[in-house]
Amino acid sequence: MNIQTLLKQGAIWAFIVAELIFFTIAGDFLSTSDKSFMDFDNMLLLLKQSAPIGIIALGMTIIMINGNIDLSVGATFALAAVVMLDSMTWPFMVALGDWSIPLAWTFALLTGVVLGAINGLLVWKTGVDAFIVTLGSMLGYRGLVFMYNGENPTSKLNWTLVDFAEAQFLSLHTATWFLLAVTLVLWLVTTKTVHGRNAYAIGNNREAAVNAGIKVGPHFLWNFILIGFLAALSAVVFYSESGSVNPNDGMLYELWAITAVVLGGTKLSGGYGSIISTLGGVIAIQLLRKGLGHIGAGTETVNLVIGLILIAVLFLDRQLNRKGKEELKI
Amino acid sequence: MKIRTILLATVATATMTVAGSAYAETMRIGITQNNVGVDSYQTTYEKAFIAAAEANPDVEVVVLDAGGDVARQIAQMEDMIQQEVDAIIIWPTNGEAVIPAVRKASQAGIPVVVTNSNIAEAGFEFVATFSGPDNITQGSRSAEIMCERFTALGIQDEARVVQISGQPGYTTAIERQKGFDDRLPEVCPNVTLVETQPGDWNREKSQQVMEAFLVKYDDIDGVYAGDDNMGVGALNAANAAGRTDGITFVGATNFAVGYEAMERGEYWGSIYQSPVDDAKAALKSAIDLLNGVELPFLNYFDTPKITQDNMGDFTKPVF
Repeated sequence: MNIQTLLKQGAIWAFIVAELIFFTIAGDFLSTSDKSFMDFDNMLLLLKQSAPIGIIALGMTIIMINGNIDLSVGATFALAAVVMLDSMTWPFMVALGDWSIPLAWTFALLTGVVLGAINGLLVWKTGVDAFIVTLGSMLGYRGLVFMYNGENPTSKLNWTLVDFAEAQFLSLHTATWFLLAVTLVLWLVTTKTVHGRNAYAIGNNREAAVNAGIKVGPHFLWNFILIGFLAALSAVVFYSESGSVNPNDGMLYELWAITAVVLGGTKLSGGYGSIISTLGGVIAIQLLRKGLGHIGAGTETVNLVIGLILIAVLFLDRQLNRKGKEELKI
Repeated sequence: MKIRTILLATVATATMTVAGSAYAETMRIGITQNNVGVDSYQTTYEKAFIAAAEANPDVEVVVLDAGGDVARQIAQMEDMIQQEVDAIIIWPTNGEAVIPAVRKASQAGIPVVVTNSNIAEAGFEFVATFSGPDNITQGSRSAEIMCERFTALGIQDEARVVQISGQPGYTTAIERQKGFDDRLPEVCPNVTLVETQPGDWNREKSQQVMEAFLVKYDDIDGVYAGDDNMGVGALNAANAAGRTDGITFVGATNFAVGYEAMERGEYWGSIYQSPVDDAKAALKSAIDLLNGVELPFLNYFDTPKITQDNMGDFTKPVF
């Protein structure tokens, strides 16, 4: 590993450390709480709260390494949640008692797989850019959510489910375990498998990848199935705890996920990216939200700060990589 | 650099500990709101809440906004529990999804005040008190306004009324309609409620509903709408058909557009629901709870009648 990759992959973690130091010190002066920001329980919560967007962002990393993008994840998230909660009210599921829970999870995950497969097939078979395909499916899937139950929330409160989701094992929350497990699996996939190496190859140069005999179409299909599954998994993890979904839940999640991925240093143009850095990006965003809340800054400042940091990150990245070669000459 | 940071942190912590002990009596109250930027009712509510808290030296507030996102609201609840605030006020983004988070607060021994719109019944046992408008009373007061107007016009024995209700499934819509439906026959037994249709809180939809009513019925004396936004939609339809004269329009939640229509003499009355009162009531409920005052589970703030006759007593709503 050379100095430059080290700098790139370390940057997000350095940023997280800077955030921690800043909010700890600022928090001692500004927060009304007597508890330190770096409190152990608070850090556990941080990981847990990173899970909903985090699980999606990890999948988005592979999609973006391919040079693609998926805008439909927020709608997939909502639809999977609707299926999970609604299925638990079906008569045969009610008859099963708490055994309906794993079945409801399966239904939700299948929903995600099917929606992802639709995206993947469209990208593969039509050759239309993934941005356009998923822009369409974002609207379409959201339409399905609204058709399901109108403007009304879909709800099923099951305390067994809530207790499972709120549980802590080795002091980590259930959601955190899912986040870490997904990180581990995807890290293995991107770094240790042929599929992972192909993902980078396709993102770097699609022509060359095709010439090298990589089947690009099926590769995309698998990745879209993967992110559909992960969007649904994120919904399963989150809605097991909350038990009710509004039809507009998950809106803008695609953008938060993309933001986290970009903060982690993955290139929008594809060919470069790291799962672990994306995890850093997700944590950095949640830290900002938490920290600004902790020091009593208005919630509206969060978006402003994240936007500024995002632009700064991209600018620095460009300077580091290309030494300003592509500066606009006006 | 590192040593300096640690030093600074230590000094800061020490200062805080000293300062902290001096304010041992201060109540720390956290609020997580639904979606502040989305309409001016919620924006005014937040300003009024902060102003009320600053006016009270015994209170420190943590003001958060969920931006309409359930996940963020649950995270904010967890953060406030972790920070060990003394009481939490929540304006639910979703009346059911927040129940587990409210249960967590209640298990941590932190009293929870639900503000503006209540959570679902399954969560009632975890809530200390609900502070907000009484929508059933609002509905019955609208019925009274309507009836008093008919009596003044001398048509209380023959008047025919149509109703435009809020979005089906919304508690506010259901309660206002119930209040109106129950109270009208009590005060004006000979007035007929001809038909009720939902306007979905939407002005354009209500205008269409009213257009259909005007075609269907030649004789309409009164229109009750679940809020002024819909009432003004109905008024626009009547204006377009040239039939505004002789129709008494009554709404609820007085909006600026409703207030202006009252000034023009086209719209008769409404219910005045102030976000400032709403915010003050929520903060007061939390303070009362912490002072050990017994509060009813449903702790309503007053929403008075407003008509063309007494509108001078009220400032024009900001939303």
